[in-house]
Amino acid sequence: MKEGRRVDLSGCTRTVRVALLSDATVNQLVPLLTVLLARRGVRAEVYLGEYDATELEVFNEHSDLYAFRPDVVVILGSTNALRLKYYGSAENRAGFGDEVAAKIESLWRALASHTSAVVLQANYVLPYERQFGNFDHKVPESLYATVAALNRRIAEMAQGQAQVLVNDVEALASYVGRKHWCDERLWTLCKAFCSFEHLPLVAQNIADVVAATAGQVVKCVVLDLDNTLWGGVIGDDGPEGIAIGPYGDGEPFHRLQFYLRELKRRGILLAVCSKNDYEVAIEPFRTHPEMVLREADIAVFVANWDPKPDNIRSIRETLNIGLDAMVFLDDNPFERNLVREALPEVIVPELPEDPSDYVRAIAELNLFEATSFSEEDRRRADLYRDEARRRELATSCTDITAYLRSLDMRIVLARFDEFHLSRVVQLLQRSNQFNLTTRRYQIADCRAMMEAPDTWVPWYLKLADKFGDNGLISVVILKPEPPDLRVDSWLMSCRVLGRGVEAYAMNRVVELARQHGCDAVVGEYLPTAKNRMVKDFYQRFGFAPVEERPDGGAVWRLDVSTYAPQDVYMVGVTHEGGRRSDDGAG
Amino acid sequence: MERGEIERQLTEIFREVFDDQSIVIRDDMTAADVKEWDSFNHINLVVAVERGFRIRFTTKEVNNLANVGEFVSLIASKLG
Repeated sequence: MKEGRRVDLSGCTRTVRVALLSDATVNQLVPLLTVLLARRGVRAEVYLGEYDATELEVFNEHSDLYAFRPDVVVILGSTNALRLKYYGSAENRAGFGDEVAAKIESLWRALASHTSAVVLQANYVLPYERQFGNFDHKVPESLYATVAALNRRIAEMAQGQAQVLVNDVEALASYVGRKHWCDERLWTLCKAFCSFEHLPLVAQNIADVVAATAGQVVKCVVLDLDNTLWGGVIGDDGPEGIAIGPYGDGEPFHRLQFYLRELKRRGILLAVCSKNDYEVAIEPFRTHPEMVLREADIAVFVANWDPKPDNIRSIRETLNIGLDAMVFLDDNPFERNLVREALPEVIVPELPEDPSDYVRAIAELNLFEATSFSEEDRRRADLYRDEARRRELATSCTDITAYLRSLDMRIVLARFDEFHLSRVVQLLQRSNQFNLTTRRYQIADCRAMMEAPDTWVPWYLKLADKFGDNGLISVVILKPEPPDLRVDSWLMSCRVLGRGVEAYAMNRVVELARQHGCDAVVGEYLPTAKNRMVKDFYQRFGFAPVEERPDGGAVWRLDVSTYAPQDVYMVGVTHEGGRRSDDGAG
Repeated sequence: MERGEIERQLTEIFREVFDDQSIVIRDDMTAADVKEWDSFNHINLVVAVERGFRIRFTTKEVNNLANVGEFVSLIASKLG
């Protein structure tokens, strides 16, 4: 907590405004959150609501809460406070849980109508007191069963509301042990949320989610092989000699591979970085019957004798992701330290000596926090594999134009719609490099744009080619303000760099400007630590700088009458795949 | 533990909790004498003392503390 008084914010590239609302005392979370988020490169401005005034603040649109303009609203309900209300509800025990759930939902509704903030709703720690002992489970109105049911309701309600995320405090308490979680004296003395020593855990859990809403998510796990993914050394022991499989010495590695394959299925890319000869290293992935991970599960496979930091850099370039979006797993402390030293942004967990503890050691760090889960995530590994095949074709084509033509690209450009919203928001949160203004709009902001078609023209773009579907890969948000058409946001997944998606989109932007009677397109570049790639984006299309700021930011203007349409090598289509005549997206 | 040693360790805890290296405790010192000593920091202080001396107070003991002198006596009685 002391660190919170003198926290270094110099390395922070973005600010997140976090409001804390609780029916318990949570003052210590303020410095803790500030410190923990600063370590993740996020400057936190924290608003602490009055004690037990959640409803008063949320239902009053003129409250200090809304004046604070929060990005994230954290609602922490304590079981001790809930218990008191439960005791007071003797007349209507059966309806108590429903009432609490309905009240929570009405808080979410009020928040959604007054702010576009993400809501981080805590569930309730199960009480340690049991009125019937084990029989509590058979009595729905017992306190224990009521809290358990309420937690299920919170999860179900949140599943239907993209802007609501769950803060699983119950998971923290059961991890620590409910016996130690709450210090009842501190509840008596100052209505403490939990025992002080566990508050850092609560803060860490909140910080993990807040960092994820700010786009700080892990996208790739880089794996060593020998004694990390299997027991033994493939180069010495051969495919028959390594330990892998459901029994004996191979079991811990088998389990780790399952854990990693589940990560891959939810959209985390797996890469291999091994000191081995390539053919030797890949052999088990192709032929070993007990291997869980196969060649197709690995997005980038690097096995050579170069230093690992160099190989990790090259994996990063191939995947086009940030170093801070990578986790490196290696059993060898020397390699871990080498990577930490050379690439401090990469997350390098300590691995315990016993491989049986690998999965636990990784899971305890809660590295893979997410704020959404879409079809795109399930398919991500396949998308990257298709990309590798495209690169093969590209190396066989000497002429880039011929190559692009041969891809047979089809592109959809459409206004935001409910069906694509979660992916749109995900892209808004995750894109760092090809992102002109890095405005992290949340789902409520996007809905507001959809509902104001005269003010906003919010587009997404989807690209497919003969190798597969790239999915939704770009977002362009426009604001017609005649005589100007303003570009509020322009971002693209780096997966599709160099295909001319932005040229196609620019042609459409200028077309839209003409439709709206605008003479100019005005765009802005706001520099961040990661988006240098698009510094000269507007210049490429003939824009002229009208304002240049000391921080490197600039405003660019294009005279629509001078615009020369860009050559594009893709066909505009509708969602159904038909050729676009005029899809009315403008 | 000698009363003087308790006072020495307690001073360190006061300085830590109130983030002020100049604090010198006295027997008749109360919350009114220390700027940051509000009801909330009072609990932080109590928890820090419990941890520092490896002792445990009851709710009533914490609520009934009148000044630092009583606090030292209470700690001494717990250490036995």
